[in-house]
Amino acid sequence: MEILLIPFIIALVALVVPSNFMRQFSLLGGIISLAATSIRVASFNSSEFYAITQECLTNFGLTFKMGYDGMSLFMIVLTNLITLLIILSNYNRELSSNRTFTSLLFFMQFALLGVFTSFDGMMFYIFWELTLIPVFLIAFWFGTAGNKPALMKFFIYTFVGSLAMLISLISIKAYATSFAHDDLMAVQLTAKSAFWIFGGFFLAFAIKIPLFPFHTWQPNTYTTSPMAGTMLLSALMLKMALYGMIRWMIPLAPEALAEMTYPVVVLGIIGVVYAGVLAIKQNDIKRLFAFASISHVGLIAAGAVLIGQDNWTAVFIQMGNHSLVAVGLFLAADIIEQRLGTRSLSDLGGISKVAPRFAFMFGALVLASVSVPLSSGFIGEFLLLKGVFSYNMVIGVIAGTTLVVGAVYTLRAYQLSMNGPAKTAPFADLTWNEWLAFLIIMLIIVSFGVCPQTIINFVGPSVKNLIESVTNTLAK
Amino acid sequence: MSVEQLIPIIIAIPLLVGAINGIYGKNLSKNIVGSLATLAVFSSFFLALFVFFNLDEAVKINLFTVMKLESFSLNASLLVDNLSIWMVLIITGVGALIHLFSMGYMSHDEGYYKFFTYLNLFIFAMLILVLGSNYFMLFFGWEGVGICSYLLIGFHYSDAQKGMLNSLAARKAFIMNRIGDLGLLVGLFLILSQFGTLEYTELAAKIKMDSIALDSEFIVAITMCLFIGATGKSAQIPLFTWLPDAMAGPTPVSALIHAATMVTAGIFLVVRSNFFFDLAPTTQHVMLYTGLATSLVAAFIAMRQNDIKKVLAYSTVSQLGLLFVALGMGAYTAAMFHVTTHAFFKALLFLGSGSVIHAMSDEQDIRKMGGLKKFIPTTHLTFLIGTLAISGFPLLSGFYSKDEILGHAFEHSTLIYIILMISVTLTAMYMFRMYFVVFHGKFRGTHEQEHHLHESPSNMTIPLVILAVLSIFGGLLNLPGIFLKKGAHWMSEFFAENTAGLKVIHEHMDSGTTLALMTVAVLVCLGAISICHSVYVKKELLPVEDKDLKGWELASANKLYFDEIYNFLFVRPMEWLSIKGHQFIEITMLNGIVSASTKSIERTGDLVKKMQTGKTDWYILWMVFGIVGLVIYYLLNF
Repeated sequence: MEILLIPFIIALVALVVPSNFMRQFSLLGGIISLAATSIRVASFNSSEFYAITQECLTNFGLTFKMGYDGMSLFMIVLTNLITLLIILSNYNRELSSNRTFTSLLFFMQFALLGVFTSFDGMMFYIFWELTLIPVFLIAFWFGTAGNKPALMKFFIYTFVGSLAMLISLISIKAYATSFAHDDLMAVQLTAKSAFWIFGGFFLAFAIKIPLFPFHTWQPNTYTTSPMAGTMLLSALMLKMALYGMIRWMIPLAPEALAEMTYPVVVLGIIGVVYAGVLAIKQNDIKRLFAFASISHVGLIAAGAVLIGQDNWTAVFIQMGNHSLVAVGLFLAADIIEQRLGTRSLSDLGGISKVAPRFAFMFGALVLASVSVPLSSGFIGEFLLLKGVFSYNMVIGVIAGTTLVVGAVYTLRAYQLSMNGPAKTAPFADLTWNEWLAFLIIMLIIVSFGVCPQTIINFVGPSVKNLIESVTNTLAK
Repeated sequence: MSVEQLIPIIIAIPLLVGAINGIYGKNLSKNIVGSLATLAVFSSFFLALFVFFNLDEAVKINLFTVMKLESFSLNASLLVDNLSIWMVLIITGVGALIHLFSMGYMSHDEGYYKFFTYLNLFIFAMLILVLGSNYFMLFFGWEGVGICSYLLIGFHYSDAQKGMLNSLAARKAFIMNRIGDLGLLVGLFLILSQFGTLEYTELAAKIKMDSIALDSEFIVAITMCLFIGATGKSAQIPLFTWLPDAMAGPTPVSALIHAATMVTAGIFLVVRSNFFFDLAPTTQHVMLYTGLATSLVAAFIAMRQNDIKKVLAYSTVSQLGLLFVALGMGAYTAAMFHVTTHAFFKALLFLGSGSVIHAMSDEQDIRKMGGLKKFIPTTHLTFLIGTLAISGFPLLSGFYSKDEILGHAFEHSTLIYIILMISVTLTAMYMFRMYFVVFHGKFRGTHEQEHHLHESPSNMTIPLVILAVLSIFGGLLNLPGIFLKKGAHWMSEFFAENTAGLKVIHEHMDSGTTLALMTVAVLVCLGAISICHSVYVKKELLPVEDKDLKGWELASANKLYFDEIYNFLFVRPMEWLSIKGHQFIEITMLNGIVSASTKSIERTGDLVKKMQTGKTDWYILWMVFGIVGLVIYYLLNF
């Protein structure tokens, strides 16, 4: 329970903390919530389920069932870690002493943790919707001026998706006694109703991830949001959807998989190629990374819908990797924007000469994002591509082109901004907090690149349980 | 110490020292950084030498399990057999000499410690590549050397004039390699899905057990994918254009990575996978003809290059083509022999060119050199030995190793032999053209350059001398049967001893034919030398200026327009797609649909809005319409 309560309390307290003390307070808050989680991790047995609320059945089927297993705890750790990294990268920015912002950030953390610990459909939906509020407000109040159209689009888009998910949830509840995960999972659906329920969930998740062609809100929203907002959107919010696919969409309506796997994989891979190609000639470095994100998550989504022990494990590895890389890349983009007031690649050049530490960290991240050996992306991408390839060879090879295209746009972004003769005004090298954020990111990426087995052991048993119960439902 | 303990140490030393230099190198003096890095590779070499003499049978070492998944597991394990330990010797041996050379060559460079860090990391990745016991380890090292190559090609990325060009060359190399990597990766997936394992020894055993038909579909698919991977790393048509550009890197890098070791990774891959390739004659044919075409095309382009390093780069591409011809004929041991001698003389030539460039204050255009033999005698002599060796001068290493491949080719088909001979002749021609233009005649550089002309320091000349000795005597490793009764083909027997799947394949020619072929080769070599001598020394002709080029010379100097064609076929269409895709699909279509749907909602709103006029009489009118409508509806239903 304390996992959820800590960020919530911090969010409330943040409203009264004096603003000259705000940065330290939020850093402390981030550390505390991560520390509290690590206690849980230390006493964690990966094959068990830990309840964090008293389950009780209300009249209309709400059970308040919350808890965590390996997959949930992985997402909890990821959420708390990324939140801390966001606070850390933001530490020397003006925004860090803003009361409302800090409160919203922790509220976001609270809502996200709720999403990952909900084992009740209605609770999941409530937390899912709750996450929209802080991230929307952060982007709206603290983003670039004139971002209202972009945000309205984002809001309407995700709202439509959520509505579809709500309808799906209510319709499947019609066959069950409660909204509890187990009850909903046990429901036997006809192929037709499974299709619609699957479809409702899929729309919500596809918009949030976003999958091609539901992605048009994403580049503008990413570019107009402040750094913290973009990080929240890309590193955490879209992971809710990938997690939701594995935890809710597929287990609840596995009957639709036979029909739906192919189109979802195809959409995912179209996104990989399409967004990758579009990223090649982007001039705005933040927008380039936004397209890169679409390209990377397309592959993860394809892996998520290919139910299987290895594929789902790979999805978790790659989710962790993508979150870390996304935070790092958007931090790098923001550092450039903060120091120089521009994000146009055509105005940049030669930064590495004046800021070697930044160049090193950014370079290391760029390599991690093209999945070189010793980075967790190497493992994650290898396994995901293997999964897609064993599903369908042609699609697998097309997906594999991300190896080439990814290198093209990422290296281009890096070289145009960092290499060549120095073109720009003086450029201050990394401050300690930025350096520390990069360092933490790199250390984690490398350690999971060397021994991914830790993650496999962590999430493996719970993935196995879930897959077993899905196959049981299907077999009945 | 046993082999099991030594091999991990051999790999770990360069990694550790690389890490130390990377972290603390900034604060250490250049001498310490360079000596540490060089010592690391030397000690790996001597340990490897010890293992080499104590290795009786193939040893497999399990380090740890990287991943244990449901359908397969990936192990970090090593396989030490005669093939891999031989590669280790080449990598660490030539690598150590090049490290030593770099201490002098890079002594004025700001990024000294970074350079040695990358170089050490490269050695580490390359060792993993050749020592891994499965394709996953190979892929790991494969990608690793790719990164090091990228970092080292673009090493001078902030140079005022050439910084961006260097970066672009590095990017080109990385991306072209990645295309090959995709092929390799798909090959790995195919192997995994067919056999469920990536371990070489298990695969070889399995293939032996399930008598698989020749040219079965999946074997051809697997070998084709592996070969695509090899074309990337080993610079074969169509993926070869990155290698000449990679000369943007410092010269020791060109010697180590882009001549002696990394580019032979593709050859190693095919030799390692011999049990697959033996079952796929189709792929072998593709390999043979690709190699043949590459060898000829690259030799042709090298004829009229004027950048000393570009000539050597195209020469490398051409030699690699020759190696693939050997592999296409199944002559794995002959290929490995030539890999070895090529490592000696090509590293020598590159380092020699580095010494020339160093002496010439960073000038690379051979037209601005000339008469250097009296200024830099050691470099001159060793460079001459390298040139003779690569041209197949009698009794030097290149003579034997090239001859063995030519012998196989002659047996295979006369046409292939003739085409190979053309490429061999061209090799002798362009090498001696370069040699005479650089070292003979009058000095054509500026006064300032002439003033600075000096022989390189001893840490640069010692590696040259050692490599020159190896280039002369390297041929003794695998003498043909006509010279010796016993002990001939030592190297072929050595590889076949305990490398999975490898057998010794001898040419079945009588000694008369062998001698005849050798005589032809010798005559061709001597002929080429005398032609070049008369043109560039006696007549003192110089390579013509770019504007005077005509006919085939123009095509050769412009690299047969490969870059232009690729730009037209791939790069520009891709950029066009990226820009137009953004304009039309993203903005016009997808965004258009979304805004159209929001507009239509607004329009419906507008329509409904019009009905709410606030005037009671209109409301009453609508109400009457409604009632009438309802009445009609009920009437019709009754």
